[in-house]
Amino acid sequence: MSMVRAVRSQSGLSGRVDWTYVGAVAGLVIAGSLAMLSAASTTSFYSSILQKHFIALTLGVTLFTLTLAFNYQVFQDQSKFMYGLAILIVAATLILGRISRGQRSWIHLFGFSFQPAEMARTLVILALADFLDRRARRIGDLSTLLLALGICGPVMVLVLKQPDFSTTLTFVPAIFGMLFAAGADLFQLVAIFGFGGVAISVPLIYTICQLRYPLAAAHSLPGMILATSRMGFATLVAIGIFCAIGLIVWRISSWMRVQIKPAAFAAIPILLSAALLSGIVVHRQLKGYQRNRFVAWIAPQSDVQGAAYNVIQSQIAVGSGGMWGKGLFSGTQSQLGFLPERHTDFVFANLGEEMGFWGTSLILGLYMILLWRIVAAARLARDRYGYLVCAGLASTLAFQLTLNVGMCLGLMPVAGVPLPLVSYGGSSLLVTLWTLGIVANIYARRYALL
Amino acid sequence: MNTRGAPIPVERLEILWYVIAAAGLVLGLRLAQMQLVQSAEWRLAAERNRSQMIHQNAPRGRIYDRHGTAVATNAPAFSLIFLPGKDRRRSDLKPLAEELARQLSRDPAELLESLEQAVREESAIRIAENLPTQTFFRLSELKTLYPGVDLIKEARRYYPFGRFASHLIGYMGKMSQREWRERKPKGYRVDSRTGRLGLEKIFEDELRGRDGGLRMEVDAQGRLKRKLEEIPWEAGSNIHLTIDAAVQKAADEGLRATATGRGAAVAIDPRNGDLLAMSSQPDFDPNAFLSTDPDEVKSTVVDLSEFNNAIAGAYPPGSTFKPIVGLAALSEGRATVEDSVFCPGYYELGGRTFLCWEHKGHKRVSWLMGLAQSCDVYFYTMGLRTGGAAIERYARAFGLGQKTNLPAFKGEKSGHLFGPDTRKKSGRNWWYDGDTLNLAIGQGELTVTPLQMAIAIAAFANRGSVWRPRYTQKIVYADGRPEYSPKSERLGLVPAKESAWDAVQRGLEVVISSGTGGGAKIAGLIVAGKTGTAQNPHGEDHAWFVVYAAKPGEPASIAIAVLVENGGHGGSTAAPVARRMIFAHFGMQDPAAPLPPPVKKPLPVTPLPVLPHGALR
Repeated sequence: MSMVRAVRSQSGLSGRVDWTYVGAVAGLVIAGSLAMLSAASTTSFYSSILQKHFIALTLGVTLFTLTLAFNYQVFQDQSKFMYGLAILIVAATLILGRISRGQRSWIHLFGFSFQPAEMARTLVILALADFLDRRARRIGDLSTLLLALGICGPVMVLVLKQPDFSTTLTFVPAIFGMLFAAGADLFQLVAIFGFGGVAISVPLIYTICQLRYPLAAAHSLPGMILATSRMGFATLVAIGIFCAIGLIVWRISSWMRVQIKPAAFAAIPILLSAALLSGIVVHRQLKGYQRNRFVAWIAPQSDVQGAAYNVIQSQIAVGSGGMWGKGLFSGTQSQLGFLPERHTDFVFANLGEEMGFWGTSLILGLYMILLWRIVAAARLARDRYGYLVCAGLASTLAFQLTLNVGMCLGLMPVAGVPLPLVSYGGSSLLVTLWTLGIVANIYARRYALL
Repeated sequence: MNTRGAPIPVERLEILWYVIAAAGLVLGLRLAQMQLVQSAEWRLAAERNRSQMIHQNAPRGRIYDRHGTAVATNAPAFSLIFLPGKDRRRSDLKPLAEELARQLSRDPAELLESLEQAVREESAIRIAENLPTQTFFRLSELKTLYPGVDLIKEARRYYPFGRFASHLIGYMGKMSQREWRERKPKGYRVDSRTGRLGLEKIFEDELRGRDGGLRMEVDAQGRLKRKLEEIPWEAGSNIHLTIDAAVQKAADEGLRATATGRGAAVAIDPRNGDLLAMSSQPDFDPNAFLSTDPDEVKSTVVDLSEFNNAIAGAYPPGSTFKPIVGLAALSEGRATVEDSVFCPGYYELGGRTFLCWEHKGHKRVSWLMGLAQSCDVYFYTMGLRTGGAAIERYARAFGLGQKTNLPAFKGEKSGHLFGPDTRKKSGRNWWYDGDTLNLAIGQGELTVTPLQMAIAIAAFANRGSVWRPRYTQKIVYADGRPEYSPKSERLGLVPAKESAWDAVQRGLEVVISSGTGGGAKIAGLIVAGKTGTAQNPHGEDHAWFVVYAAKPGEPASIAIAVLVENGGHGGSTAAPVARRMIFAHFGMQDPAAPLPPPVKKPLPVTPLPVLPHGALR
């Protein structure tokens, strides 16, 4: 019971807790629970959902409070353990996990099931923050950047192996946000993440061309892009053009006596070419359902019964809610089963239908307050470690919010990313509350005196 | 406080915050756009999603005869419908199609195709219509097994007399894809039935009611959840005909009983041109098109004879043309009733021999005997005296060679007038005496329709009034518009002397009382007519009989033309049909006929409940 004593000994703590932040969290949990419970009311295992949700909520609130009780710097001290734990749980999932919906992403222990990927993400953030703090003086070096990626890479690869593409995707903004906030060299950062971005967008562009111009002539631009999938002559030509442009720009700049490192000119074409090649590889590796999600995003009208069904039904749900909504438990889209995944990934659409604009803007507003307070916590943090942890969490949370809400509103492709604190999911709720507890802790201990 | 010496780049955090805020702003704006600006459209989409309209066919307007007997009405029927769910998979449809095919004895591939169409179009379809009540409970089981299958009660067309005035009333059928696209704006659905022939087609707009329906809430599987709204149907407008069901029935049955069973019969009221009966054989049972047994529908369609002999069949009139020749001769003063002619059985003209039908010859005949015995030689002589041009003029005055302007009916033929004038118009200038002889006995190129002959004989009855046939007594509109009843229309008057009318009418009466038309003699009535046996190059002679009848002291109230294709002698084949019709018209019992079979009463028509929902959960 040393923890209880610790809380008592720091009697001034409650005065330093960010109550706006706690209020936003509480508001999200309450509003989210209402929406989620309404959406789940038509499922056949409603009572089981209710039970699991409230157990997870109770545990989560306890964890939030407990996390607040001790100094967060413990996490920095134990960062190697944190990292080891992250690797351990995702590896264990791959070995011990049970397959459900084609994914091996659940661990069943002592009658409880747990999805470790989100917890691994928070652990990676904690470990990475420690690493970047140590490398503060050499933050501009390429080696720092590469090592940071080297730290996160194994965990991400293991999660991708499940295969859980969406959760892997949520690692990216956390890492980028932390590197960016830590002060990494912008050129290197943009180059590396640009590389990744191109690698992802190439299959996207390819899919667009396939959908919009399936019969494009070979000499037209879409036709050339379609030809790249064969990794043939067109790709080599594209790489050649990149190199030539780089060379020409370098010559011009040297004539104009502009002082720019020649390496930069070499880097741009090499990176772009590599990105293009990797894009092709990614495109060939992309699974059928992932491609369908792209299709559903790009051309939602193309196949209503198929992949785009979810997108359209979700938009109908949100739009038909109007200003005041149809009332809790009486949304036709969700209660009659038109809205898919209505208590998990599409819970925001259900909320939009039943609570209308005031409900959705309330949730969005609470989220913005939450993010604002996390950023404030970062700014006020007593050390670089706290600053980085908050920046990473804000980035990943904002990314999840954008992806999930954007998906419900038809702005983003369908990715299986839940809305934290709102979507049903016991382990997600538990981990999110614990993570937010760390932020509260960082804020509460913003003065070095404590 | 910097633990590792290097300063914390807080300005980077600011940028990060701006990016996050911008993302939030975009989401907020999109929310406002969808939920505040476009919400009406999305709400409409949600409404379309959750509700399914189950249409119920409104009862069509009824068709009555002149005495108010319903000849086309409605009966309650069950229809098996299928509501496609929103997230239905193709593979779910196959077992359903197989089960339905077994229950309804239909082709599973065909059923599967229509089920798939329903899923594609996202609208309810009728799998089977007009199901008999007995199958209701057996089929009710299906709806518990397969979501989306349901039974509804609605109105179907019912023709209580069955095979009755088929070509006049018409039948109901499905539309072709092209027709449906044209009619879609008028509120027709893909499985709506429309009038395909006759009055059902002509009065489609009037007869058709406004379909009602149930707007049901459905879930994503297509299961009906609850009723949202009931839209009551509106029945169509009723139409009262001038047809007399009894006369029509006599005509249909009489023709059917003849040797060949093919022909036409038309009855007209000579006082105003009202059509009393119009029959064409072979006919069909319009109920068969609405049968639940697809084989029966198929065979009906295959055997269907849409050809209406009464208006579209052109036949040489034969001897029934002789009264017109006689009227022309007498009225033009080319002959008197006393003038007699010797008939040796043949007539020689310029080395050619024209035979009389009675090869033994009629000896010496004058007008009455000439007409009564239908002596060809007498009419050869009269024809030559009168001349082809005058005969043609009179024939035209009786309306031959022109359409009778029967309102709205398609496919009416004008027949072909035969005479020097007509021939000149077709570019041929010759006209020989031999042609006059052929014309005088109603042969040669002369062809007429049974309807034209009915109007002509009616003109003999009323002394010259050529009526436009009228079949609509009144239309009683369902929407409260004032009744519509077309007026009788006289198209022309045959200019002939009163003495000539007297002589011809007298002659026509003698035909019945002591001539070839004895088969139509009826005690207590004045019956006047003419038989005809028209030579026909394609086979057996066509049998004709034209007749009018009156109660003593009253003007004639019925004029009939009967044609039996290849029936042989008019007096023996066609006259009995007319006789039946006259008896039916005057409401008399034929003493010569064997006791008629007990009249089969049409099935009682139960009135439809306004909104049946017993069939729904």
